[in-house]
Amino acid sequence: MSAETATAKRSRVIDDKSLSLEYHRSLWQDAARRFRKNWLAVGGLFVVAAFLILALVGPHIAPYDFLEQNIVKAFQGPSAAHFLGTDDLGRDVFSRMLHGARTAALVAFLSTSISLVIGILVGAWSGIHGGRTDELLMWISDLIQAMPGLLLVILINTTLRRPIINWFDLLYEQTKNPFYLNTLWLDYVLVFSALALIAWPGLARLVRGQVLSINEEDYVLAARALGASQWHIMLRHVIPNALGPLVVAITASMGGAVTMEAGLSFLGIGVQPPNASWGSILEEGRRYWQIFPHLILIPAVTIGVIQVAFVFLGDGLNDALDPRRNS
Amino acid sequence: MASFLLLRLLRWTAGLFLILFVTYGMMFYGAGDPIRMMFIQGEDFDSEDEVVMLALRKKYGLDEPFLAQFGNYLNKLTQGDWGRSIRLQVDRPVLEIVKFRLPISMQLGFAATVIGAAAGIALGIIAALYHNRWLDRLIVSTVLFINGIPTFVILPMLLLLLVLQLKVINVPYGWNGLFHIDAALPVAVISIGILPIVVRQTRSAMLEVKSQLYVRTARAKGMPESRIILRHMLRPVLTPVVTTLGLIMIGLINGSLFVEYILNIPGFGLLTIEGIKKVDYPIIMAVAVVGTLIIFISNFLVDIIYPILDPRVRAQ
Repeated sequence: MSAETATAKRSRVIDDKSLSLEYHRSLWQDAARRFRKNWLAVGGLFVVAAFLILALVGPHIAPYDFLEQNIVKAFQGPSAAHFLGTDDLGRDVFSRMLHGARTAALVAFLSTSISLVIGILVGAWSGIHGGRTDELLMWISDLIQAMPGLLLVILINTTLRRPIINWFDLLYEQTKNPFYLNTLWLDYVLVFSALALIAWPGLARLVRGQVLSINEEDYVLAARALGASQWHIMLRHVIPNALGPLVVAITASMGGAVTMEAGLSFLGIGVQPPNASWGSILEEGRRYWQIFPHLILIPAVTIGVIQVAFVFLGDGLNDALDPRRNS
Repeated sequence: MASFLLLRLLRWTAGLFLILFVTYGMMFYGAGDPIRMMFIQGEDFDSEDEVVMLALRKKYGLDEPFLAQFGNYLNKLTQGDWGRSIRLQVDRPVLEIVKFRLPISMQLGFAATVIGAAAGIALGIIAALYHNRWLDRLIVSTVLFINGIPTFVILPMLLLLLVLQLKVINVPYGWNGLFHIDAALPVAVISIGILPIVVRQTRSAMLEVKSQLYVRTARAKGMPESRIILRHMLRPVLTPVVTTLGLIMIGLINGSLFVEYILNIPGFGLLTIEGIKKVDYPIIMAVAVVGTLIIFISNFLVDIIYPILDPRVRAQ
């Protein structure tokens, strides 16, 4: 800023369309303008977008199958044939990382969607109806939020595995549908449902707070006086108002889910081998870290970069979507 | 005030009870029969002998209905009998294991809290004093950066850097007491985990205090800046920092899980993971009991300490 000359500043002021009266910017245009100024957040957005795209197209551009073993080629460093080298079983690390991106994105997307639905329903119900149910729901969400999320997820994840497997065995015996024998995706189901179960309270609190504060507004009073139903007010007034904070919360929740999934798989509790997850790749590489450091460097740097990108993106969105900030 | 605290205590106790009930329920209906697991995995016994299994179930009280089991468990828990480990360290009283494991994690956690809080408060105050200048921006974005990187990424990276590249330390492994050089890395990594919480809270509290009239008055009457900070600003800044105790405890538990797992420190975090992997009911329950107690006691402590530190809350 200080390097800017006075003339440049003046011409910028003159060019600034916001000064002319006929030019109107919407809340979102304003937010986009503020967001673009924050280069850390823009960088975060690019990394997160790249991550999601790679997760989507990953298996199609992967040079090898992520499970393909070739013991002869184990522990190779980066080369033309193996872009990021190979691991202890001779599997292509790049292909495994791409598959891990899919795992992470899938878990993040599904757990966030589920917790969003639960959060909005519970929050809206609590905010609209109040009373005993509200108190009970908020007590439970307080409880979940006070506990260390990781511990809860570990507990849920471990204890739900067995009954779900039993249930599917039962279903298989009744239907003889081979679908129920495939337990490969069971890890995913367990991980994202456990994550959703601990993530909804934050969203519920957010929605509830919005409902309570917006219900006090004059325009909601006017809408109600005109005979609008509670659902109309929810959809037309509360949700659009809560959209900014919700977008921020969703970003944070997705980033958190990616960390949690990697952490669980790292501890050997989440996605089980041979399924690839960044956490399990890191854990497998840890056995040989003193001799082949690239095996932990690659997943560690990837997780770190994605996490930091999510944090910067969330922070930038938070600043940009709050209209009370530097208007 | 007393009724407020009593109400709080009631809420937390009910919460503790609920969490224990749910955990026990999940164990009972979910985790799978630990006795059968012994046989299936062929670790402890050779054959699937129903008679032996029945006897073992009876021995551990696993043959009773759910509510009876849970009632028994709570009853014994209050008498100091936390059950016996089924598979991790066969037949050893859980309380004994906890008594051995918990102090290690507590020492790590305590050292990490002291370091993390001291560094965090200092950094938070500096950031607020240089509000919107480059030093503030540096601290804020560094903290944001650190906040993003999970423990299980920081620690292996630090190992690569310190052991392989710089060769300044050997690989820390196991537990040799808090003042052994091996404890330095785990303490540092755990304190990095709680640093962002403290810095953020301190900075925002400091920014609020900075514009208070009494600070302006102190400055107007010619008080030296260092004295203003120490005498007038520090206490109102530290009060809200105390409220982050619950978050700090969560950070400690999360941090110690990964740090102890990676460095093989026989603390409570490692016990958690081992117990879960071996589906050892009494151990998992003990983990739930202790974890919940830590969180609830620290939250309750905040409820007690906060009005003492902040007279405005007391007045309400």
